[in-house]
Amino acid sequence: MKITIDQRAHVTVVAVAGSIDALTADTLVHAMGEQMHAGNTRLVAAFEGVEYTSSAGLRVLLATLKEARQRGGDLRLAAVQERVLRVLDLSGFTSILKCYPDVGAAVASFPSHHA
Amino acid sequence: MSGASAPGAGVVRRSVPRARLTDLAALRAFVAAACAEVGAPPAVGEALVLAADEVCSNIVLHGYGAGEPGPITIEVDRAADGACVTIADEGRAFDPADARAPDLTAPWDAREAGGLGWHLVRQVVDELRYERRSGVNLITLVKRAP
Repeated sequence: MKITIDQRAHVTVVAVAGSIDALTADTLVHAMGEQMHAGNTRLVAAFEGVEYTSSAGLRVLLATLKEARQRGGDLRLAAVQERVLRVLDLSGFTSILKCYPDVGAAVASFPSHHA
Repeated sequence: MSGASAPGAGVVRRSVPRARLTDLAALRAFVAAACAEVGAPPAVGEALVLAADEVCSNIVLHGYGAGEPGPITIEVDRAADGACVTIADEGRAFDPADARAPDLTAPWDAREAGGLGWHLVRQVVDELRYERRSGVNLITLVKRAP
């Protein structure tokens, strides 16, 4: 798995590439945690490069979503592939997590005047 | 990873003597290739890859426990209109019927990650069977073509 961090003006884009499973999920948990501890709680997970996830990926998304919102921010998803979207749907995640067609739309969904 | 073989007509088998999380990617690749080999359509393979990954992750993390990796054997066979995956391990006995069901309608702050793995398995396969036979856990997953 490859993770790339891109700090935009008021949003942090975490681009993920590869497969998320019980092994690689730890790397993603660590990356998300690092951003939030640095005060970056408005997060976009760019999933265009994620070709697969098991429930391990759902655990990461849920933990990140909870912590980001508790700190006044949010986690939003962008460019989720169909195979991964099916897993999110089957787990009831599409009702608690906002998904956008691309990174630009996900970034723009956070108001820029947000403190 | 070791021991890819074809023990019987149509059955494809792979054994890992000391399964770790680092084996998951290769096990997924094996299940995908084996499903194609027994003639299952891609959607069947995709479902069984996810289900087998969840089962094997549980075996490594909970069946054997940290620092005590044990064997996992996966067999893939043709089933009517689809494929059948059997996963055997010698870890602690666990019947997936005892896994608690996640609440998928709870608000975000009340959601828990527990139980999502077995929930996904049930969602993507047509049959999930468990049997404990002389110290061996046997999970059978059947997926038919949609």
